[in-house]
Amino acid sequence: MSASKNRHAVGHNVEKVDAFKLARGEAVYTDDITRPGMLTAKVLRSPHAHARIVKVDVSAAMALEGVADVIWHEDVKAIAHTRAGQSYPEPSPYDTVIMPHKARFIGDRVAVVAADTAAIAEKALKLIEVQYEILPAICDMDEALERTDVLVHEEADPLGIGGGGKSNVAAHIDKQVGDVDAALKTCDLVVERVYHLPRVQASHIEPHISIAWVDEDRRLIVRTSTQVPFHLRRILARILEMSESQIRVIKPRVGGGFGDKQEMVVEDLVSVLALRTGRPVRLEFTRAEELIAARYRHPQRITMTTGVMKDGTMVANRMHVMADTGAYGSHALTVQGNTGQKVMPMYPAPNIHFLVDCVYTNNPISGAFRGYGAPQGCFALESHMDEVARELGMDRLELRLKNHIRLGDTDPLSAKLGEGREGLARVVRSTGLDEAIVQGCEAIGWGQEKKPSAPHLKRGVGMALAMQGSGIAGVDWGAATVKLNDDGSVNLAVGATDIGQGSDTILAQFCAEELGIPTEKVLVLSSDTDLTPFDVGAYASSTTYVSGGAVVKAAIKVREQLAEVLGSTWECKAGEIIFADSKATGPGGKSMTMAEVAMFALYDAKIQPMATASHMSNESPPPFAAQFADVEVDPETGQVEVLKIVSAVDCGTVVHPRLAQGQVEGAVAQALGYALFEEVLLDRSGKVLNPNFLDYKIASALDVPPMVTILVETDEPTGPHGAKAAGEVPIDGPAPAIVNAICDAVGVRNYRIPATPERVWRGIKEATQE
Amino acid sequence: MWELKEYRFAATAQEAGALRRQGPGKGAYIAGGTDMYLQPVDCDFVVDINNAGLSDIARTPAGDLFLGAATTLHNIATNPLVADFAEGMLIQAASHCGNRPVRSTATVGGNLCHALPSADMAPVLLALDATCYIADEESQESVPLADFFVSPRVTVLDDRLLVGLALPAEAATRRCASYKLTRSAEDISLVQVVVALGVENGKIETARIALGAVAPVPMRAVLAEAQLVGQSVADISLDLVADAAAIAAGECEPRDDHRASAEYRRDMVRVLTRRQIMKALHDETTITKDSGGTVA
Amino acid sequence: MKIEMELNGRAVTHEIDPGANLLSVLRGMGQFSVKLGCETGDCGSCTVLLDGEPVNSCVVAAARTHSHKVTTLEGLLGDPLMKELQQELVDKGAVQCGYCSPGILISLYAHFRAGNELTDHHLREALTGNLCRCTGYVKPLEAALTVAQNQQGGPDEQGGAS
Repeated sequence: MSASKNRHAVGHNVEKVDAFKLARGEAVYTDDITRPGMLTAKVLRSPHAHARIVKVDVSAAMALEGVADVIWHEDVKAIAHTRAGQSYPEPSPYDTVIMPHKARFIGDRVAVVAADTAAIAEKALKLIEVQYEILPAICDMDEALERTDVLVHEEADPLGIGGGGKSNVAAHIDKQVGDVDAALKTCDLVVERVYHLPRVQASHIEPHISIAWVDEDRRLIVRTSTQVPFHLRRILARILEMSESQIRVIKPRVGGGFGDKQEMVVEDLVSVLALRTGRPVRLEFTRAEELIAARYRHPQRITMTTGVMKDGTMVANRMHVMADTGAYGSHALTVQGNTGQKVMPMYPAPNIHFLVDCVYTNNPISGAFRGYGAPQGCFALESHMDEVARELGMDRLELRLKNHIRLGDTDPLSAKLGEGREGLARVVRSTGLDEAIVQGCEAIGWGQEKKPSAPHLKRGVGMALAMQGSGIAGVDWGAATVKLNDDGSVNLAVGATDIGQGSDTILAQFCAEELGIPTEKVLVLSSDTDLTPFDVGAYASSTTYVSGGAVVKAAIKVREQLAEVLGSTWECKAGEIIFADSKATGPGGKSMTMAEVAMFALYDAKIQPMATASHMSNESPPPFAAQFADVEVDPETGQVEVLKIVSAVDCGTVVHPRLAQGQVEGAVAQALGYALFEEVLLDRSGKVLNPNFLDYKIASALDVPPMVTILVETDEPTGPHGAKAAGEVPIDGPAPAIVNAICDAVGVRNYRIPATPERVWRGIKEATQE
Repeated sequence: MWELKEYRFAATAQEAGALRRQGPGKGAYIAGGTDMYLQPVDCDFVVDINNAGLSDIARTPAGDLFLGAATTLHNIATNPLVADFAEGMLIQAASHCGNRPVRSTATVGGNLCHALPSADMAPVLLALDATCYIADEESQESVPLADFFVSPRVTVLDDRLLVGLALPAEAATRRCASYKLTRSAEDISLVQVVVALGVENGKIETARIALGAVAPVPMRAVLAEAQLVGQSVADISLDLVADAAAIAAGECEPRDDHRASAEYRRDMVRVLTRRQIMKALHDETTITKDSGGTVA
Repeated sequence: MKIEMELNGRAVTHEIDPGANLLSVLRGMGQFSVKLGCETGDCGSCTVLLDGEPVNSCVVAAARTHSHKVTTLEGLLGDPLMKELQQELVDKGAVQCGYCSPGILISLYAHFRAGNELTDHHLREALTGNLCRCTGYVKPLEAALTVAQNQQGGPDEQGGAS
């Protein structure tokens, strides 16, 4: 659709603006600088899941040569906040302080050392003596919900979201459209199942890393690998009791985030230490710390109760989510909210009930991870659709086709839920879902008989539908500044945060499109709180749709300024001037190259063509995906080989085909791990058993199956050049598609993922014994 | 951070022993070092044996295969002298051990001396009757690999150096099959099974069934092996093979850990042993696609 | 202790801690293409060549490179094969966050230079040590296969070591 619109930049595989410097291994990431006198910080972590930190004796550590500072809770003012990098006021409980008075999980912060070298810092950690008062720990979700005699948080949440002081509830949601209980009684068939979702970790290859220093103006500079520079500055200002003007956050290139960097994980510590010591301080997580003390996708237990009529019409649908946020509740309300809100509208039954109990436990912390609750919900719902179809004796594709959301449909759950408070109703103004299903079925060979490659193997196919959002309606916003240079190039400064997904390139394409110049003439700067305008950051699939809208507006303003200048000299109306092919063309054959236009504006008209624009949308148009898996199962060993994954995705106008495909392919690989082998394992005491890549497996090149990625273009009327989001929706469907395929192959369902060989084997064995 | 006071280089095996004994403090040998950086060994100094002449692969005129202890897994995986030994089993094992960059430095000796129950090279070497050559400054000793492992992370070495391994020419013609069961493509093994059968005049004369990750140390299922000896390759019954596999499952001593349960491991020994015996017998009809079966 | 290694074709002398891994020493020498990702030899973002073979520099003792050749991406920027690999990686959209890219490039370079087979499967095996969380490996493999086709198309270039 878009290609026919004759766009020169949008819709084309332009060179990713940062690709070459990354492929040359240039020094562009947070850690690729050194500063004189820089200290390295290391964190002393609690060996107890729940223990009051009574006293910390740091004297021996401080006495060690090369140690500059050691801090614990007595040294740092306790100001309640959330580390979630969300818009103010954050819809996450204020249950966190920089240095806690009690450790709430095995790995919680107890003390932090800053020393000349990492080796000295590590040695110093061993010299710190901590007096703990060990408390009973709760590591089980159900126990956490029931018990009030042991509280993970004893202080009340000033925001009233968490149940601190009264219960272990971190977030509770109970929203209903219609009346599910009453409707279920009228249904021909009610199917109830329980699904279990694992704790998984984002595993960006660049660990959390921050460097902070105090500059010559006595300002705090924080160079950090983050998705949310502006939120970070605001949170730091509050908890350090500084003003935002005294803090500058610089985001260099980021080696992946996937939501795990939508959180202040280390920045507060380097800031405190830099302010105390007056020296630059660096803190980099080890991989073990990533897997213990960063953030996880929330583990959940989801109960689906669905009522249908004999013809497959869905009448009532209930999703009850039980979730473990761990020791702190950042993103507890909103991730769990998304589990229903982004997922249940796929089948807009007249009666929908969405219930969440998200509890604090003494387990490590859950938080944001690409998909943000939707992968869990999608797994439950799309597994459940197959179960309903099986019970109905109906084809599983047909059941989906009968009930899925369509163009013009309203999604009432979004209005009820919003971002932690009442939100905005969502109307589907563009959808390529039907086309995605058709093309996806074709690519996977749906309905064709598929023979296993050996007699002892079983073969099966499965599918899942998914939808997500494009930013948070009425909340997410961003701004962009466009400035023309002498040679006809422009600087594009955005607060939008490229973390590797390629948003700098997408935004440059929008800018180039509006100004009629090649994308390589757009010099992108992202993001620096001193130099770029505000943006909420890289999360919620918002950048293309929301920040892109700001870039389009800013570029149009600059174009209008130029037309104004040229119109006065060419004696024509501004509207008569066309900007294309790096030229401005007016009536009567008048023409100037963009460089000439720039020189004219700067040296004759003496104006700086430049504009800043902000953009917010009250809509969050859903991108859609239909995803399919073809698998082979070895029933004797439980091994599953995924032969092919097909993803047909509607992300509106495709701004950059290769980058969009890359989003899909990367999401599929992450979801493959979710389906089959990724799981952070805890023992009963809340200790992580596999904090390394040896035992926490993420997909390697040999694990990923052949992928077919189909981009079904639609034209979203509210999006910049018709674009919607692409980053999150493709991570939702592969896990249920794979598990549905396994069930298709062997007739046994995995209600719990990852579907490891042992789980598949056990399922088959138990089914045979029954 | 690995805190070492000193890193020494040995030019010969004898010098290695001398440098280690010299002190002061506790010393350890280092070759590839890939495992040593995962869990730094508590020692004051290390003696590097990478240039001590222990990296050779050779075939004797009689056909025995000799692997220097410091031979890298990558060298084994690509060496033509190894390729036609026991149907390329060593190549298969070496090329499924760790990832490509790890194999550049990790050595066969290191894999064995680390003595993990899941040591990837151990089952194949057990199945091919490897002998360990152990030395210190004064003495040399040879020990069958089957007697090399004492308990997890403990071998018979003490302070002595594993110099190399010898595989008898007789093992070169065994019919072999192996399988490494993992959670993802590149992973530590949950269960490893290697079967090597010496066949003469249509009869199984020697049988070796070696198992990894299902006992405190890599082991042989000797009772199961005994079932196979004397059987005719042409007439062997599926039931007998299944019985042998079940016996192997009974012989192993797996335990529960976060990677797999003992119950699962034991059943996988049964399934995979049955399959590997059939595959080693070149029975194409009853088998089994095997993702570990390609030779790199 | 003092070591002398040949880094990117030049003899260098460096003072190191005896237990230091090669990763930390190389970064200290300004070789920023060598990235820290896991320090257990599992992710490959610190891949460099040791005497021409790819190694995870996080699990290689810096001391053992004494009298040996170490090559980082910085040392191969002028190499025609490396340039071709980089160009294809960029063209195919295989560079997302870019953190794993230097390691992927080194592994592919070593695989091509060694004259190995250049099938999809062999290229996947060559990349088993390089974890990438962004791309799902589709585009990196597409880029590698394109270079493979170019190499095999050329009369003298096939798998040749120079």
